[in-house]
Amino acid sequence: MRLNMVIELLDVPGQLLAALEPIGTLGANLVTVIHQREIKTERGLIPVQITIEGDTETLDLVMNKLNELGFRVIEVDGNILKETINTILIGNIVDRDVKDTMDQINQLKGVRVADLSLKMSEEPLHSSARITVEADFGKKKDVLAKIQNIGKSKDFLVISEV
Amino acid sequence: MRICLMGFGAVGQGVAKVISLKNDYLKEHYGLELKLVAVTDSSGAAISQDGLDPDLLLKIKSETGKVSNYPEAGIENIDGINVLDKVEYDTMVEVTPTNIQNGEPAKSLTIKAINDKKDVVTSNKGHLALFFRELIELSHQNGVEFKYEASVGGAMPILNFAQETLPGNEIKSILGILNGTTNFILSRMTIEGSSYEQTLQEAQQLGIAETDPTQDVEGIDAACKTVILANSILGIDCTLKDVQVTGISRITSEAIDLAKKEGYLIKLMAEVSPDSLDVSPRLVKQDSPYAVDGTLNMATLKTDLADEVTVVGLGAGSVETASAILSDLINIWKSQK
Repeated sequence: MRLNMVIELLDVPGQLLAALEPIGTLGANLVTVIHQREIKTERGLIPVQITIEGDTETLDLVMNKLNELGFRVIEVDGNILKETINTILIGNIVDRDVKDTMDQINQLKGVRVADLSLKMSEEPLHSSARITVEADFGKKKDVLAKIQNIGKSKDFLVISEV
Repeated sequence: MRICLMGFGAVGQGVAKVISLKNDYLKEHYGLELKLVAVTDSSGAAISQDGLDPDLLLKIKSETGKVSNYPEAGIENIDGINVLDKVEYDTMVEVTPTNIQNGEPAKSLTIKAINDKKDVVTSNKGHLALFFRELIELSHQNGVEFKYEASVGGAMPILNFAQETLPGNEIKSILGILNGTTNFILSRMTIEGSSYEQTLQEAQQLGIAETDPTQDVEGIDAACKTVILANSILGIDCTLKDVQVTGISRITSEAIDLAKKEGYLIKLMAEVSPDSLDVSPRLVKQDSPYAVDGTLNMATLKTDLADEVTVVGLGAGSVETASAILSDLINIWKSQK
């Protein structure tokens, strides 16, 4: 079985070697490595395309080991992996059209609102909502900018992750 | 080292306490004798070229509220600037209240002391947040030391830490909690589930929040510290107006609850980087280095070589802040030996 993946690496010596090391150790075959230092991911890291070969069990072991070592796999077999982004809004959430708030976020490509929790306050002007967004890797900036924008136009306090 | 102590509020009194406590230690370890030759407060000053007794100063201040009641050396209604002309000194320790409108009286006192070729140590943020570059350049032109460790994070070491303990590292950004009052309020709201107004009142009763809490809760105090960190550690030329500021007064217990359920806390974070000068409430993970409670301050420095380094410490308090002032005084003393 063959598996193509893209992982993010820091642009410092030794990183690529450290990421490749468990592949051989765990018994998988390294087929190709494409390492283009001039391309950067959203987080300022280098995307490295790696193709490996082995049985399902071995490939699973490799993926787990990479995770454990803190390497972030952002794409597997052409599917971009998702990341979760949480934000909290405070304001007159309900009266300022919740559906429109969600629609505006959903309009972004590769982005979808996965969860919305509302908590009403005694004072409707200060209700709170937690919005959980699932987005393709690399979309975080766009999502946060969009939510900030909505917050500005609807007078919400936007609390985003550090 | 002869010291003019400008201001005798909580921090000023902390400095007197620390001098009294540490005099023997400093003599023994550094050969340094800190002699208070003038102390001012809003009532006037006490001036003595032979040195004032720090314990007597504290006693008189607590009993009468005025340093000008100091026996023989007390002078009523004398201006701080005139005090600097009346006495011979080496270092001005300036701990007057922070003023974010025009930075006075700290600004004028500092300019005068520097022009008179005196070293200056301050805990004040106002003049630094408004006129950072101007004051630093003036100190360079005059070849004097101008140190302000106590202005950011109280006892939490950060300025000297970045410059002296991590030299050679390029510091790319700083993310931190730079205001103890708001951290206390948000921590209490998280633990107790109480409302913002209720918790603010509690903080005021405990003396953690001021009667007029605006500077703390609206993020202005943290923004001043953001400016100081940006200029001194990251070399970003900026003043208070360049910082995007959102306070915590709109935070509700419901919002905190929603955050908690996903494993987050809400903290007033200051972000200092070439792309962003921002103070605003943010979500932080419950098990992250940002999850410090109570009046604690913290800062994570992102560096090119050492990766992330985090410091934590008490952000306010009289003796705690004075400890940062003392470290500046000792550093000046060591650099001149």
